[in-house]
Amino acid sequence: AVRLCRGRALLSRLRGAPRALRGLAAGPEMHFGFQSVTEEERREKIYQVFESVAKKYDVMNDSMTLGIHRVWKDILVHKMNPCPGTLLLDVAGGTGDIAFRFINYVRSVRDRQLRMKLKHHQSLSWQEIFENYQEDKFNSLGDSQVVVCDINREMLKAGKQKAQHLGYSEGLSWVLGNAEELPFDDDKFDVYTIAFGIRNVTRIDLALQEAYRVLKPGGRFLCLEFSHVSNPLLSRLYDLYSFQVIPVLGEVIAGDWRSYQYLVESIRQFPPQEELKAMIEDAGFFRVDYENLNFGIVAIHSGFKL
Amino acid sequence: VRCQHYPPLRALQASAVLRRVSDEHKKEPFTSSSQQQFDPHPAGHQPEQEPQGPRSSYTGQGGQESEDYESEEQLQHRILTAALEFVPEHGWTAEAIAEGAKTLGLSVAAAGMFHSDGSDLILHFVSECNAKLSELLEKEQKLVQLGEAEKKPTDEFLRDAVEARLRMLIPYIEKWPQALSVLLLPRNIPSSLSLLTRMIDDIWHYAGDQSTDFNWYTRRAVLTGIYNTTELVMLQDSSPDFEDTWRFLENRVADAMNMSNAASQVQSTGEAVVQGLMGAAVTVSN
Repeated sequence: AVRLCRGRALLSRLRGAPRALRGLAAGPEMHFGFQSVTEEERREKIYQVFESVAKKYDVMNDSMTLGIHRVWKDILVHKMNPCPGTLLLDVAGGTGDIAFRFINYVRSVRDRQLRMKLKHHQSLSWQEIFENYQEDKFNSLGDSQVVVCDINREMLKAGKQKAQHLGYSEGLSWVLGNAEELPFDDDKFDVYTIAFGIRNVTRIDLALQEAYRVLKPGGRFLCLEFSHVSNPLLSRLYDLYSFQVIPVLGEVIAGDWRSYQYLVESIRQFPPQEELKAMIEDAGFFRVDYENLNFGIVAIHSGFKL
Repeated sequence: VRCQHYPPLRALQASAVLRRVSDEHKKEPFTSSSQQQFDPHPAGHQPEQEPQGPRSSYTGQGGQESEDYESEEQLQHRILTAALEFVPEHGWTAEAIAEGAKTLGLSVAAAGMFHSDGSDLILHFVSECNAKLSELLEKEQKLVQLGEAEKKPTDEFLRDAVEARLRMLIPYIEKWPQALSVLLLPRNIPSSLSLLTRMIDDIWHYAGDQSTDFNWYTRRAVLTGIYNTTELVMLQDSSPDFEDTWRFLENRVADAMNMSNAASQVQSTGEAVVQGLMGAAVTVSN
């Protein structure tokens, strides 16, 4: 049954109950928004949610967050500060937002590098300059690569279409895979990102362990996710906006009330910053830290495999 | 699809890179002095970061061995030291740190542990140089105490100390202006200032300064001024082996010495004048 807008009193009651289930499967009962379901049901339902929102995913993101999600993703990539030659795994990368930003960033860094190199060679002959351009023409990304991995075929399809539309082809690959069981070898990637995806993973601890496994020693784990707002006034406004406005937008723009109801409910069910930090440390990461954006509406967690 | 199942307990090998400190003794030292930096902390040292918590609770009997693993700080230290050799090419940037991490077998993403403006690398380098200088001065002092060397006069001592410290910049002199500008960013001023004052303090200590009055402040202020101006001169000096810089340094130190003589002369003159006036006043009143 679909739960319609819940009051704030119910919020606090329900927050207590599934707390024991976060991250670890204490039993077959898990949360799907504010409903209680089994693990299998949860995976199934989440798959359906994203199957139905895939086409309107980007439009909805813009309208729900008033475009601020772009800034959040930009901040994530800036925090990553990748240099050319970085291998990125973007899990739950869906429509490729992080992947495209990564490519843009690396391209501009590479451009700057090439320009600096040429500046040093002040007195090259025309022949040498020509050769320089030749060899670097096919290396505009400096061997950087991003692998976008998502469990949902529809989301990957939407992402591939977007890439084609925007003209991204080099250094990009699309893989169907489950964050809890990644189809990659150990010690492969420099950076692992999961933006607004870890909330939808059923067994977060498994996903974190997989992240640890596929990262190279020294590799970085970055997680961008909705989180807990501690400021009480802002929290009330945020709740109001989430439960009154977002499902309505979902119905009007995407014709799908239920998926967006799930979205805002799942945000409330997700562990707060400190708890997620503890879970990341449990998976073996060091120097785990988080940065709140917009007073905790969104948080970026970062950890290193040392 | 690969499937990896991890035991719930984290084995000692969970840390991919933090290695046993004993391994480090086999490693080729970066310079003879920095080898001392690699010495493990006294036995029983427990790296204090919280990751040690879960590890020690799981390793049980193996808990003893976990003490020998290097801490994150030591790993960072190693990365920064390795990064220094890439500075002439990349400057004091996150790229140099990334290259340094690569040589240690780590991913380039490890550079994300440090601040992106490269300030961590610069501060590391400055504190390493200061440590080397202290060692040098300590050795010289021992020689003097053993009677194997003559005690230098103050101005020569100061000159030699500042020259030795500035010579450490020579391999990185091209990119040093960039480093100075980063050190002057408001965010970095507390750390860079404290490193500078500690170094100046060190030099004066080994020069034999034991003043407890206002002289303490004037001496340090003067030497800081000499050091900073000489550093700036060195940055745009193109003479062979920086001769012009050392001559500038000599002149500044001489100036400082003259000034202190002049100051004491002024004081004694002042006293004499005052006494003369008092005498005149007494005469007139009679």
